[in-house]
Amino acid sequence: MTALLEAKEVTKTYKKAGRPSLKKVSFRVVEGEFIGIMGASGSGKTTLLNVLSTIDTPTGGDIWINGINLKKLGHTSAADFRKDNLGFIFQEYFLLDSLTIRENISVPLTLQKLPPKKIESMVRSLAERFGIASQLNKYPSELSGGQRQRASAARAIVKQPSILFADEPTGALDSSSATELLNALQEANQELHTTILMVTHDAYAASFANRILIFKDGCIIKELCKDNGNRRAFYESITSEIAKLDTER
Amino acid sequence: MNTLSMALKNLRNHFSFYALYLFSVSLVITVFFAFTSFSMNYIMLEKISADGRVESMCRDVSVFLMAFVVFYMAYSNRFFLKRRTKELGIYALLGYRKTTILSLLTFENILVCCGAFFAGLLLGAIAHKYIIIGITALLNLSVDSSQIPLFNINAIVKTACFILLVVFVLCVSNGRFLFKTSLMELIRFEKKAEKSMKFHRLPALLGLIMTLSGYGLALDILRSSKSLWISIGFYPIGMLTVMLIVIGTIFFISSFLPYAIKKSKSNKRAFYTETKIITTPNFIYRIRSNSKTLIMLTLLSAATLSISSVMALTVYYPIAAVSRVAPSEIEFRIEDDAQVDVAKQIVSQYAVGHVTFIQTDLYKVKSSASQLPMEYSVGTAKGDADNEKILRETGFECISYTNYLSLLQAQHKDRAAASLPELRDKECILVKYQPGDDNSTETGNTYPLLINGDYVPVTVKEITLDNPLSFANSIGTLIVSDGIYNQIKASATPITRILSINGKAIEDNETLYAEISNMLNQSPYLQGHSHRINELFSLNSSTFLLIGFLVVLFFIATGSILYFNNMSAISDTKSDYEILMKMGYTNRRIKKIIKKQVLTFYSIPFILGMSDCIFATIVYKTGLMQNLLGNTLIQYVPVILSIALTALIYLIYYFLTVRTCCKAVCKQ
Repeated sequence: MTALLEAKEVTKTYKKAGRPSLKKVSFRVVEGEFIGIMGASGSGKTTLLNVLSTIDTPTGGDIWINGINLKKLGHTSAADFRKDNLGFIFQEYFLLDSLTIRENISVPLTLQKLPPKKIESMVRSLAERFGIASQLNKYPSELSGGQRQRASAARAIVKQPSILFADEPTGALDSSSATELLNALQEANQELHTTILMVTHDAYAASFANRILIFKDGCIIKELCKDNGNRRAFYESITSEIAKLDTER
Repeated sequence: MNTLSMALKNLRNHFSFYALYLFSVSLVITVFFAFTSFSMNYIMLEKISADGRVESMCRDVSVFLMAFVVFYMAYSNRFFLKRRTKELGIYALLGYRKTTILSLLTFENILVCCGAFFAGLLLGAIAHKYIIIGITALLNLSVDSSQIPLFNINAIVKTACFILLVVFVLCVSNGRFLFKTSLMELIRFEKKAEKSMKFHRLPALLGLIMTLSGYGLALDILRSSKSLWISIGFYPIGMLTVMLIVIGTIFFISSFLPYAIKKSKSNKRAFYTETKIITTPNFIYRIRSNSKTLIMLTLLSAATLSISSVMALTVYYPIAAVSRVAPSEIEFRIEDDAQVDVAKQIVSQYAVGHVTFIQTDLYKVKSSASQLPMEYSVGTAKGDADNEKILRETGFECISYTNYLSLLQAQHKDRAAASLPELRDKECILVKYQPGDDNSTETGNTYPLLINGDYVPVTVKEITLDNPLSFANSIGTLIVSDGIYNQIKASATPITRILSINGKAIEDNETLYAEISNMLNQSPYLQGHSHRINELFSLNSSTFLLIGFLVVLFFIATGSILYFNNMSAISDTKSDYEILMKMGYTNRRIKKIIKKQVLTFYSIPFILGMSDCIFATIVYKTGLMQNLLGNTLIQYVPVILSIALTALIYLIYYFLTVRTCCKAVCKQ
């Protein structure tokens, strides 16, 4: 299968840190995958997400998404690339406080200059899928954390991005809200074929993915795959792998 | 670390945060010190007005100035305090007592005020020096500038005492805030989410209706005698208009604007665009916390613009009207034939070049018409206020067509002279004192003139505002054909003989004017074009200057408050812009959003303030000023200039704000 995303020997060194945060990281993601990226704090997960999503630039190596080499993108074309290809979910929700939930979800579609009627119907159908249809006219401050994160996910998915990047999306949620969000993401992955790259340190959240890349000191040290679609078994293999890593440490 | 060194460290570390505050306070103190130096410069004050008029004006203006400086400093201080509440909360968490935090804030204020004081002293002293040079040149005064010190000790002491008072006021205000706010509130103050607003139709409509009614009432003054301003009274209608506009502005900004903008969201095609989907909800969301500031700034802008426009109009209009009040360079009533020769002799000592001497014999001719124009009948009837003792005789003061034409040419009114129609024997030109509501109604009127016992009817061919003689010597002048004039001349003696002296060679010569005035024993009938203009400059310049201090201060304050407000709004939502960038908004699009957001907050006080100013000027001009120049657009030049100047100042502040905001948001 052709890769939707390909990272080749990606390196990132911050001048202040002195040592590389990413060391020649290489991997491929095919369309429709749900990838989990795990690792301890400072292992390079978020740095990887930032360079993959054009928020930051790598010091070395190449990244291709949809056949486009991100290194060759300038500031404006990187912004256009994000607009057309990428979706984001962050731990802190990052909803625009001054916009209602409906307006927040509409923003990426207005950037694509879609007609208002289409924007409204897309927003409504996605809000229903994420269980926030009744909250559309409310402001983020009027919603619970789980609802806010689902709104944030809806905003990321509504424009049908090639890849959805999620950085610790359940980090600030209680367990039931986290499950609701993860179910929604899994549904989007299975039904809308959205490719997802999720950074998490939580084994339970990671078990919703199909493949896990485990990071340590800026390198991928282990790759786990969900063999038969059994989430519980996958969860157990992740926890045992993490436990092993902890023992080694 | 003691409190003073902490305050110093805070200022050093947050210099960029305090830089504009320091700069604006320095400017405010510059204006204050320049004003105080001027008001304590007794050498200048005596030269400008010996009767103490300017001193008493200085006292009045200084009260406004001080009140305004205290208000501005208190507003800015509270603004910066609110932005630092979390930091203050952390101090409190660490165990600092509130009195210690208050002393830290007071030390910071003392340091900022000290810096601003020294900068203000230096800049204010220089500004004062230039003001003196400007006034001296403008009024042609002889002032020994070495007698005026660069730094006036009394002014320094007064400014220092005033700043101490300001620091005390700020200390009290900070103390109230600190002791009223709990620790929890201090920590959570910054992150307090704005509540969504429900905008009701009633207050929104009330705002629109009241504002429009206020403007409608202001325009009603143009209906002259039929207007409510005349039939009910200037004071009650004036109060009602101001009340409608002020209350209307409050509702207009707090209810109508957000309501209208919220309604505009229903136009989906316009709303779902990359900029509007961000700027429109942002405006609605922020209006609750910003409406009070916007209302205050709008009323402040309206006051500033109205004061500056009215002031400019008050100075400019009489000067523009001098061409009517005193059309000749020098003009006087001839009481004695010898005066003409003496005047010619005096002029010859000063003038090198062509000078015209035109003698006008003014004949009073009775008329039997039942109703004469106002200019010819005023003061003729019993019951006319102030005039019962010296009753004028009903009739016309006639001069000849040829005489009129020569006077126009001598006064360089070439266009009026060229367009002057030929007069047939029984035609005349009516000189109006004030332009009527509809000039055409008097054209074609026939008035019988009593000449040699017979009534000779003359028909008004044209009405003009180009009076050839000053109003001191003739208010209602009728220009008759040379034939009729000769008939009048043959049967009567002139009531007045007037000598008009014109020519570039004698223009703006105060010494010549003074000598002729001495020769005529300071006759009230001596009038001079340039002399009148100089007199007006001398009378109004000090008022203009003193009001100028207030206006400059208003501008600094309004601009700075808008700057601080926008900067703070954009800094508070910096994370929002970061999200937008991640979503694919380019720097260009972000800048466009920032520009639109800032523009909205600048344009509301400017546009509303400008429309308030326009209507206030219309009322002032129509109700309180004599209309001598008709409705020519040229008389509104100072108003247009004031608005343009304000627009320029707002534009400078706008670009400065946009630049700083964009720099803060679009770092890479």
